[in-house]
Order: sequence, then structure tokens, then C-alpha cells
Amino acid sequence: MKPSTQSDLLKPTNEDTVGPYFPINFSDPLLEDLSRFESGITAQPQGIPIILKGRLLDRFGELANGTLVEFWQANAKGVYRSPKHEGDSDIDPWFWGYGRLRAESGEFEFKTIMPGLCADRAPNITITLFSDGISRIVTQIFFADQESNASDPLLQSLSGEDQAKLSARHEGQSDCGSKIYTIDIVMAGENEIPFFDDLIREGE
Amino acid sequence: MSNSGRQLEIGPTDNTSDQRTPRNRLRLIPEIARESFAPYVPQRGLSRQNEWDMTRIAADLPRAQGIAIEVSGKLQNERGTPISNAMLEIWSANHFGRYRHIEDHSNIPLDEHFLGTGRVFTDSEGNYTFWTISPGAYLARPDIGRWRPKHIHISVSGGGSRLITQLYFPDEPNNASDPMAILMGDDFERNIGKPYETPKIDVDSGLNFDIVVGGRNAVYFE
Ligand SMILES: [Fe+3]
Repeated sequence: MKPSTQSDLLKPTNEDTVGPYFPINFSDPLLEDLSRFESGITAQPQGIPIILKGRLLDRFGELANGTLVEFWQANAKGVYRSPKHEGDSDIDPWFWGYGRLRAESGEFEFKTIMPGLCADRAPNITITLFSDGISRIVTQIFFADQESNASDPLLQSLSGEDQAKLSARHEGQSDCGSKIYTIDIVMAGENEIPFFDDLIREGE
Repeated sequence: MSNSGRQLEIGPTDNTSDQRTPRNRLRLIPEIARESFAPYVPQRGLSRQNEWDMTRIAADLPRAQGIAIEVSGKLQNERGTPISNAMLEIWSANHFGRYRHIEDHSNIPLDEHFLGTGRVFTDSEGNYTFWTISPGAYLARPDIGRWRPKHIHISVSGGGSRLITQLYFPDEPNNASDPMAILMGDDFERNIGKPYETPKIDVDSGLNFDIVVGGRNAVYFE
């Protein structure tokens, strides 16, 4: 006996701001570094290790401190670890693709692997921000040195200027050999990056 | 018919909201890219044994000051399907309105017996329960006398569900002037707990808060 029509759907609980005090003791180091599996286990996710270095900025160019940042991405073969792909032989047992960290100062470093090409999509990482003063906002970050960007349907739905704002730049290498990418995520104002509406569909 | 997404609103009298709220309308996601915007959160993070009882820091320690309450409810998606094994991360101020968080620099007293953070999981029917101390309201903007009403922060994650929300209390004088409550309008009512009596357990009263995870979060039906 489940409601089936749109009007029978239950009204969702309102999203609300995370506020400034998301508990630091809820941090999980395993969610801040997806380029390794749990320590002490002989296992390694497939793919090229990368470090995404980001700055979260408000409309005055100040760091947006205390922001909770979540990441969601495909594995090196372009497969998301979701029920839709259960049993897919390209699932990487050592890679989940969900990450989370609290950017105390407003800067963050997320260790992961370069996501693969997936269904005509260029490599990308979905980023969800929970921050004081706002409810959840979402965007997707790309990598400036990837040729497939030219045919990505999401990226190509944006102006050239906006495409650049979502493209992390390759800037050097870490001591451990990971490629470093940097991005400024401006949440509001003049250099504001595009955010996306994952609740409304075209034509609704 | 819309060719662009929602325009986010800025919470009145909320400086941080003014600084951080995107000014441009949200962009629509091409259909082929929609699935990639729905994270699937792996099962993770065991809670410590006593985290469901936030009225004390550990089972062998005394109760914190204030009114002990039980908060319980059902977690479900928009179709009414219960969401089991989801993690609720809970945090709130103490009886006086102070967080035990290194970035809460207010002069409000700490309570030596209150931690203010806890994690619980929903059971196979989507039900959750925790005990805590009824939090104090706190003065968020001393310059204009704006208070944050009593509230408990709750973050839900697990499977296709992801939601950060706040539970508010009925008949609180500061509810009406809260910036986020103002933005919610009539929908604010859904974030207010419903009181119930708790004659058989060691808390003063109960607050029922059924949580419905909506929107993109319901892409994968648990
Ligand atoms: Fe709060």
C-alpha cells in the first residue's frame, strides 16, 4: 500500500543549515582519503591518485570556515558504487566513491583517485556543501586537462566562463606522486561558480 | 515550465547567509547527468555504546543539567518506505545554550556532564530513538537581540539518503524570528517535534520527529 501518484508523496522534512558547529569528533579519516583502503590491509583502489585542493570563498573573498564538504564520484573505470551498478564487474572493491570532510578554515585537501569516463561524461566529482547560513548546495568539479570535457553534456550546458570556474587546474605533484589539482569554490557574488538544482527537472 | 532552477533566498538578519548564499539561480541538470548528482553513502562509522543517551557523557557518569527528553521517530522516503540502518548524527547546545565545540567562544557556561554529540542508527523499520537534554536557546546576534530558538541538529546519511535538518520545539517564543524558519514559511511546522508522555522511562517527556528524506535523495528506493 504505497502511494504512487505525485500528490500522494509525503512532504519532505525541510533541509536546514548545518550551522557553525558540526561536531569535529564526527570526522572520519577514511572519508577524507579515498586513495587508500583501510590501513593495515593489503589493498589499493585502482586509478591515478590525485589530491584536490580547494578554497571555499564567500562573496567578500573570505574563506568560508567550518563548511562540511562531501564528495561523490565514479571509480577509475567510471562506475558509481550505487545499487544501479550492483554486480557490475567493473566495481572496484576497494573504492566507494563517497567522501566527507569539514573544512575548518575554509580550505581543504581531498585525496582520491581520478574518476573514469562514464556514460559520455568527462571525469567529475560531485561536491555537496553544507555551511552556516545556507542549506545544502551542489555542484560538479571537472579537471581542466581532460580532453573529454569538450563533450561533457553538463559542462557544455554552461558558458565558457562558467566552465572554467568548475575546472580544477593541474598544479604540480605531491611528494608521494599524486597529481595536485586546485579549485576556488566561490559560493556567492562576483566570481560565483554555478550550482545545480537536483530537485527540479526541466519542464517542471 | 521553468528553464532554470530555484533562486535561493537569504535568511533575514543572518550575516553568514548573506555572505554565502549563491546569488544566481541554480542551473538545471541535463537528464543524462542527473544520476551522478545522487550520492550513495556507504554504511560506516560505528557509534560508541552509550551515544544514544546524550543526557550523560558515559553510562557511569551523572546526568547533565536541564530537562531530560527522549526524541524518537520514523525515517522514511517520500513514498513512505522506511529507511533502515541509516546513521543519525546529532548535536546540540547544552541546557544553557552553549556548544562544547572549540569554535563556540560564547561566555555561556559549559556543563561538565554534557557532551552534546551522539550517533544512532535506524532499525529495520526505520525507527530511531535517542535521549538528550532539552537545549537552551542562545543569543545569536547580540547586536540586534536575535535568538536562535531551541533546536537539535540532525544529519541523516546512509544509502541514497542524505539530509541535514534541525528539530525545533513547539510554542517557543523565538521560532517566529528565526531566519531559516522564516525561509521555510508554513513548511516550518514539519520541523517541530510533537510532544508525548513518557511515564515508563527515565526522561521528563518525549518529542516525536518523523523525518522524510525528499528530493534527489530518494533516487534509490530503500
Ligand atoms: Fe545550533
